[in-house]
Amino acid sequence: MDRDERFEAEAIPHLRALYGTAYRMTRNAHDAEDLVQETFLRAYRAFDRFAAGTNIRAWLFTILHRVRTDAFRRAARSPRTVELAGDGPAVPAPQDALARGGEDIERALAGLPEGFRTAVILRDVEDFSYEEIAKILGVPIGTVMSRIHRGRALLRQALGGSRP
Amino acid sequence: MTCNPELVTGYVDGALDEAARAAVEAHLVLCPACRDQAESERALRQRLRALAGAEPRPALAASVRRRLKQRPLSVSRIFLATAAGLALLFLWGRGSAPFVALELAWDHGHCFSKRVLPARIWSDDPDRVAEWFARQGTQIPAVPAAAGGLELVGARYCPLVDRRVGHLYYAGRGRHLSIYAVPGSVRFARDFLETPGGRVVRLLRVEGRTVGLVGERPEDVAAFERALTSTYARLE
Repeated sequence: MDRDERFEAEAIPHLRALYGTAYRMTRNAHDAEDLVQETFLRAYRAFDRFAAGTNIRAWLFTILHRVRTDAFRRAARSPRTVELAGDGPAVPAPQDALARGGEDIERALAGLPEGFRTAVILRDVEDFSYEEIAKILGVPIGTVMSRIHRGRALLRQALGGSRP
Repeated sequence: MTCNPELVTGYVDGALDEAARAAVEAHLVLCPACRDQAESERALRQRLRALAGAEPRPALAASVRRRLKQRPLSVSRIFLATAAGLALLFLWGRGSAPFVALELAWDHGHCFSKRVLPARIWSDDPDRVAEWFARQGTQIPAVPAAAGGLELVGARYCPLVDRRVGHLYYAGRGRHLSIYAVPGSVRFARDFLETPGGRVVRLLRVEGRTVGLVGERPEDVAAFERALTSTYARLE
């Protein structure tokens, strides 16, 4: 199997998951496509350095995160994050907080600051471990735990109470 | 253990080591608030896992494959493209009248700023000067011996950035004027007149050849233009 065939067989199948996360990061189909295209382009260029047999899914998500961060850097701004005082959420709940369909949770997720949103998506939607998330985001495991905790706290608040 | 909501999150995710896990478990038995948080996070997690992801356009995979096949520009290709661009720019600049005017104005100033004029042939006779150029393969147009009080004193070839031009020197009354026989193509309008660096440059087309007049005063340049024109009127 040559390099192109390996890339096709190992990397391309993750396109859907990458797009799903990219869409939740950007909240825009066009930007999500750009993000995915650039992610695969970088992955393809660096594919020789990727150690076969290791976790290609986590590697692709790491590239996705870097592409996103670079885009922010180019735009001279960083992903929006808020520091919570104590344990309480810092954003007001949406008016339809009592809704219980999938739409409300998507909306609540979209309303999270990007740093928390990405951590929650990687953990709860994509089911990465804390170690994998720490590598993807390039932060310590303690930070991963803190972002997931705060992200979920904000989500619970947005959904109208301590229980989702 | 006191309440530590972040550890409860780590506990829900099975991310704690054995000791921390045991400590949180013991705390949960005693703390309804943390128990509530753990249950709430588990329920939230289930709902998030059940979310359907956004579907990409069916054409996205093909679009990605297409982009992967477009080879990135190699260093040598970038170098070649840059070199070709510079060559085109040079060729364009070479035939551009403002560029040529700038070169002639600079050369005029350079030659006349020397203590001794760097002529190769000293003569006030236009025919002798024309013969000297002809022996070296350059046909210069018929030029006046004098105009506007300035007289022919000599000539030489001068190197410009990209070509060698025939340069005829005129001087008198403390003023100087140059007539240049410019080989090659130059694009300019009939009324081309510019003053780069404070010198007056007039480009003319004489018998299909480009002639440049450079002086310090517009009157001197105009006088030589009239003289050249009348010379050609007489010849015709």
